[in-house]
Amino acid sequence: MVTAAGITAMNPKVAMVDWLLEPLAFEFMQRGLLIAVIVGVICALVGVYIVLRGMAFLGDALAHAILPGLAVGYLVSAGDRSAIFWWALGTAVLTSVGIGALSRAGRIKQDTAIGIVFAGMFALGIALISSVRNYAVDLSHFLFGNILGVTQNDLWLTAGVGLAVLFIVFVFYKEFLVLSFDPTLVTTLRLPARTLEVLLSILMAVAIVVSLQTVGVALVVALLVTPAAAASLLTKNLRNMMFLASVIAAGSGVVGLYASYYLSIASGAAVVLTCTAVFVLVWIWRQLGIRRRQVGSS
Amino acid sequence: MLSLFTKQKPATEHSKADPAIELRNLSLRFEGHRALEDLSLTVDSGLRVAVVGPNGAGKSTLFNILAGILAPSGGEVRVHGHLPAQHQCLAYVPQNSQVDWNFPVNVEEVVMMGRVRLIGLFRHPSRKDWELVRESLGKVQLEGLAGRQISELSGGQKQRMFIARALAQAADLVLLDEPLAGLDIPSQEQILNILDDLQKLGITVLFATHDLDLAAAQFDRILLLNRRLIAYGVRDEVLSAQNLTKAYGGTMQVVETTEGRIVLGDSGGHHGHEPEGRHG
Repeated sequence: MVTAAGITAMNPKVAMVDWLLEPLAFEFMQRGLLIAVIVGVICALVGVYIVLRGMAFLGDALAHAILPGLAVGYLVSAGDRSAIFWWALGTAVLTSVGIGALSRAGRIKQDTAIGIVFAGMFALGIALISSVRNYAVDLSHFLFGNILGVTQNDLWLTAGVGLAVLFIVFVFYKEFLVLSFDPTLVTTLRLPARTLEVLLSILMAVAIVVSLQTVGVALVVALLVTPAAAASLLTKNLRNMMFLASVIAAGSGVVGLYASYYLSIASGAAVVLTCTAVFVLVWIWRQLGIRRRQVGSS
Repeated sequence: MLSLFTKQKPATEHSKADPAIELRNLSLRFEGHRALEDLSLTVDSGLRVAVVGPNGAGKSTLFNILAGILAPSGGEVRVHGHLPAQHQCLAYVPQNSQVDWNFPVNVEEVVMMGRVRLIGLFRHPSRKDWELVRESLGKVQLEGLAGRQISELSGGQKQRMFIARALAQAADLVLLDEPLAGLDIPSQEQILNILDDLQKLGITVLFATHDLDLAAAQFDRILLLNRRLIAYGVRDEVLSAQNLTKAYGGTMQVVETTEGRIVLGDSGGHHGHEPEGRHG
């Protein structure tokens, strides 16, 4: 009796473990899961600042604006990943500096400047791609992500970049906090506002570029904004918000990839849909909580 | 208490004997109209100065220039003998701070922000910094709310938190733009009491207000402004019928009675932000 009960209880567990382990037999899934976790943490950390400062549009624009960089990087390096990475990063940094310069010069508001630069760059990217049709398939991976294509090199590069982002957020924690919370104080404390802004946009550019393989240009803004937004509903402490956002993003990366494996859906879409589902659940839970409190107090 | 005096020196040193503020022919043009014109003024260190004038007189504009946020279009500004941007000893609490009150920080974290520059790059707050923050909170009677999320504060508590931040910053010059607007009487009194303490620490305070009675009762000097400097000095010099009419024009009546001077019909109120320089 006892043994029989034990066996029936074991079976679903064994099935579950098998179900979890099966994809791990593939090296590309191991690498994919690792990179999804690293990218999730990077995007979540940077995304916290994007959410707090209301820069989601800039993030989306930057992601689209790197397309010409990807195209040129691809063409000049014959598909070498790390070359493409640096081209994309350079383009993103240039774009964010360009947007800043355009809106600081006055007469043009920042969101207008973003719109102009973003659409112009994206069009340039499409023009470049369309001129060399053979490469369109590979480049479409950058648009929508291609987790299967992650190489060992990509993994090292992304891990290195991830550590650098962690280090910068840790070192400039208090300066970024003032910059995000109170621009007036940045001025009266005579902090190097411009430098900090540029540093933050470089972090944003980095986060976007390392996300290309997991979610792609078109969806990367979700990885930046959604986990941070969900975390902001759960805590009123910045460190906790960073931690929760990282957990949500990394978790969504893992869950999304399993969904992609078993349901045969595009990996980027699966990861983003998981993030979105988490956000929706958190949001509903918070709304219910608020309603309950209102009912309770009235 | 004493540790607030033994602060680290900011990048630019100055002696307390220097005037806190010197303006020479200061003017600011703002998209075609003149927000401030030909302001010349010396404010000695350690004084408590009320800045009064009708809406659009340029009070906030003046504060923004002193803080180094706006650059004047003409004239010179010196804060403790130096250009505004060379200083970190100035704290500014704008009216309707553009702060997001749902931002995930608590009271002591906001006060610690005042020390960010003194702590310096690549360093995190030390135990001494946290002690200073707690001390600053004590001076504004907020020690009990150190861990409170900022959205849960009342209007008066928010103002006191910013004053504590100015203390943590070791500011020598504090600019307060309408700090009493929208506060109840006890909160107003609490802030006025804190001003006494700031003065004891030798801190110069500029305090923009619409309330002429308050300016007359509580401040060492009054700066009467309406795009130009109408008058600066002690109460009796500044609040003359002539000066007030010059500043407020037809919007205000000054009536001399046997019991003193009565001022009627201040255009003031708290209408919020009208474009600077419209009046006059």
